[in-house]
Amino acid sequence: MVLDRSPRLDLVFHALAHPARRAIIRQLSGGERNLSELASPLRMTFPGATKHVRVLERAKLVRRRVVGRQHLCRLRAAPLKEATLWTEQFRRNWEARFEALDSLLDQMKSEEQSRSPRR
Amino acid sequence: MNPKGLQVSTPTDTTIVLTRTFNAPRRLVWEAMTNPARMRRWMLAPPGWTLAVCECEARVGGALRLAWKSEDADPVMTLQGKFTEVVPHARMVHTETMVMGSGETIGSLLETHEFEEKNGVTTMRITQTYDSKAARDGAVASGMENGMEAGFQQMDALLAQPA
Repeated sequence: MVLDRSPRLDLVFHALAHPARRAIIRQLSGGERNLSELASPLRMTFPGATKHVRVLERAKLVRRRVVGRQHLCRLRAAPLKEATLWTEQFRRNWEARFEALDSLLDQMKSEEQSRSPRR
Repeated sequence: MNPKGLQVSTPTDTTIVLTRTFNAPRRLVWEAMTNPARMRRWMLAPPGWTLAVCECEARVGGALRLAWKSEDADPVMTLQGKFTEVVPHARMVHTETMVMGSGETIGSLLETHEFEEKNGVTTMRITQTYDSKAARDGAVASGMENGMEAGFQQMDALLAQPA
């Protein structure tokens, strides 16, 4: 089989495969946040949150800049869009089948109704 | 109309989760997904391919076998598996392996189907668990290649048939 090799997407999916990192992304979708702000709702220590932010940085999902003692994190949307596009094609392929299943189910329902008109 | 379209997520490195609702009670969804005569109506084959074999015995130890034949060459693609768990109308789990005409196996996975019904609407959740992340990614990639265009054409034809 021809594998779709994309080390960049591998990093993105690995980054997205952790609930804490998805929570960080959700928070960052509201705008730039300080790392300690990200850590507290997750009940995480600063080093714990830093570890997750690093994974997100490697996937180029997050950009961090240090201003004095603050570590400001910001979402980078482009890799996320690529990841969404990737699964979107897969989704459509299955959706086409399921739409065919929809019409089959409609047909099965009307067959059933005509067999038992009192229902 | 369907209340909600298909949702796909990749919650871990080796899984794909598909969630879809159907405007029908779950016993009908179950039948459409396990009765070979019904399955043939919606398991669309890519263009130039036909579904030559469609067997499904939804009981523990029962076999699942689907084979597609190509019209212009020898290749046969076979999807085969075995049911490991069956709770009629509610849950089924089966293994799944894709075997190419050459005998080469391309990936195996465990597929869990769960059905829940509320007010005559069924929510189906399919969890595909792959052996590795590479296999999972490969499945998504091949899902891209298998021309959605073709799927849509066949669906149009099916929809045009009198119900």
